[in-house]
Amino acid sequence: MIRADIVKMYKDVHTWVGIVSGLALFIAFYAGAITMFEGQLKRWASPPPALSTPVPLERTAELVRKTIEQHPDAGNGYTIHVATSADRPARMSWTVWPEGRSRGAPQETWYSALDTNGDLEVSKDTTSPVAQFVDVLHQQVGLPFDHEIAMPIMGAICLLYAIALISGVIVFLPGFAKDLFALRIGKNLKRMWLDVHNVLGIFSLPFHIIMALTAIVFAFHDQFYGVQNKVAYDGELSAMFEANEPEHHVHPEEGKVFLSPELLMARLGEQAPGFQVKDIRYIFQRDGTIETMVNGVDPRYGHRGPDFGIVAVNAYTGDVMSKDYLPGHQEPIIATVTGFFALHFGNFGGVPVRWGYFFLGLAGAFLFYSGNLLWIESRRKKVRKTQTDPVQPLKTKVLGTLTVGVSLGCIAGISVTIAAAKVLPSFTSDIAPLHSWIYYLTFLGAVGWAFLRGTARGAVELQLFAAACTLAIPCVSLASFVIPGFGWTSEGGGFLIELTALAGAAGLLVSAHRTRIRVRRSPSDSIWHVSGINSREVMT
Amino acid sequence: MSNDTFRYSSRSWFGKASAGLILGFALALSLTGLLAWLWPGGLMHSSGKTQLNMWLMSPIWALVLGFCFLFRTGLRAWLWLGGATLLSFAVLFAVKAFLGGAA
Repeated sequence: MIRADIVKMYKDVHTWVGIVSGLALFIAFYAGAITMFEGQLKRWASPPPALSTPVPLERTAELVRKTIEQHPDAGNGYTIHVATSADRPARMSWTVWPEGRSRGAPQETWYSALDTNGDLEVSKDTTSPVAQFVDVLHQQVGLPFDHEIAMPIMGAICLLYAIALISGVIVFLPGFAKDLFALRIGKNLKRMWLDVHNVLGIFSLPFHIIMALTAIVFAFHDQFYGVQNKVAYDGELSAMFEANEPEHHVHPEEGKVFLSPELLMARLGEQAPGFQVKDIRYIFQRDGTIETMVNGVDPRYGHRGPDFGIVAVNAYTGDVMSKDYLPGHQEPIIATVTGFFALHFGNFGGVPVRWGYFFLGLAGAFLFYSGNLLWIESRRKKVRKTQTDPVQPLKTKVLGTLTVGVSLGCIAGISVTIAAAKVLPSFTSDIAPLHSWIYYLTFLGAVGWAFLRGTARGAVELQLFAAACTLAIPCVSLASFVIPGFGWTSEGGGFLIELTALAGAAGLLVSAHRTRIRVRRSPSDSIWHVSGINSREVMT
Repeated sequence: MSNDTFRYSSRSWFGKASAGLILGFALALSLTGLLAWLWPGGLMHSSGKTQLNMWLMSPIWALVLGFCFLFRTGLRAWLWLGGATLLSFAVLFAVKAFLGGAA
């Protein structure tokens, strides 16, 4: 058995790393749960394209020729979208770098189509940036900083998260047999919250271990390679990667044309059955060579990209040139590394796994929320022992209001900025900064409100507010449907976004109601106490 | 003697955690460096191995950071982890000298 003093020490460690990292992790997990449906969200949020219906795949060559004739930039590289929808609104797209090409430089995506006369139409990307905004919020644990600044902070949070996992398990172990399946629902609310925290933590532990370890790599990826390059590889790292890379470029051949997308896909179907092609990317290198990368999915396997695997092919013959990132065809070691990515992204097994990850993400967010509130409750008990008429210390009050304000502000802010996606394009074309402003103003407003009203009142009111914000999502959908000229309704989107938002809003309303009951019953030294509201003293 | 009366507490967290943070990173670096050289097939085995080796930084660092609190004092944490780090770096440089330059 673990010594009691070790358990006590790790309990302190668990408490403090939890408090420091918990709120940032709440945002990362809540936003991360939503990114499980990033594609669907982008489709829901993107206005109908300003271009004609995409040409059939057979006319791709004509579209490419006309596009490059009039927009030579596209000749450096372009993408053919096999499946098109509101979030991939044309058959062909290409990227330009208005300020010159370098890492992190601003870039624009353009789409092209042919009208009924066969004349070229082009349009700058009008797809919604809101799904990407939520994704960046997830990656940067809610921090509005440059990526280079936010990522090391995220990494530090994840190191604390790893300590919290190890210490949490050590603290839980002595009561393992007793507490594992225990969920003591009853009058002792603190006991119940602790049980929920424990059950969630233990049963989703593998998920959390994966998230902590992979996120540390995502944060310090460049730094890890940088120091390993100096210490282990003597500065030869990039040369080694290049030498190990399977050859995947071809030289242009006079008088020969690329395989059409249908033929290319047929050739791939022979070589990699089950791989569903999404995009074909043609890259024309400065040395004149051509690389052709095909993005796609095979739900039987994990994928290297967030929602796609990659295979490099010969544009003239359709022969597979590199299987390094082709799902189900990778060498064992690289498949292992892809497994780490896939376990983080939840991109294996199709839709059921995405839903599983969605709920694990929400459960993770709740784990951090409940952890903070448990700390407050245990501080309260300590105060009781030493004082006859205890006054809550400032730090528990501050943490209580922060916990309520930050987590509910995050929920409300994400909901409002998503709902705004169908409203903003009517007013401006530069939408991305507005999504950011809307989120952060809502978020900071909620934190300010929590401080103004205190933990208890703030929790009830902000849950109602977050519910209203989340209800705004199906409301703008409905308004788009019934009010002419307002918003739009995308084809084939289903009602996933609306139904999920409705369920979320309902959950927040129920929770607001439960919190109000708790506030009424809280004794005067509780963080949930509001003077004048509670009717009777009960043990909580 | 003092072993029997020693009680762990979180008071000496800073010395232990700083050792775990700094030396845990150094230890992860030297151990993955060793693995890069001693892996069957060597440094140039494959790009997959190079990637896997980078990923291993994370669990080693996290484990040291999580368990460094089990040292009795911050000084002990620094001495033990520092010794382990020095040793693994010494072995790494010996292996590199023995097996020759990279690539």
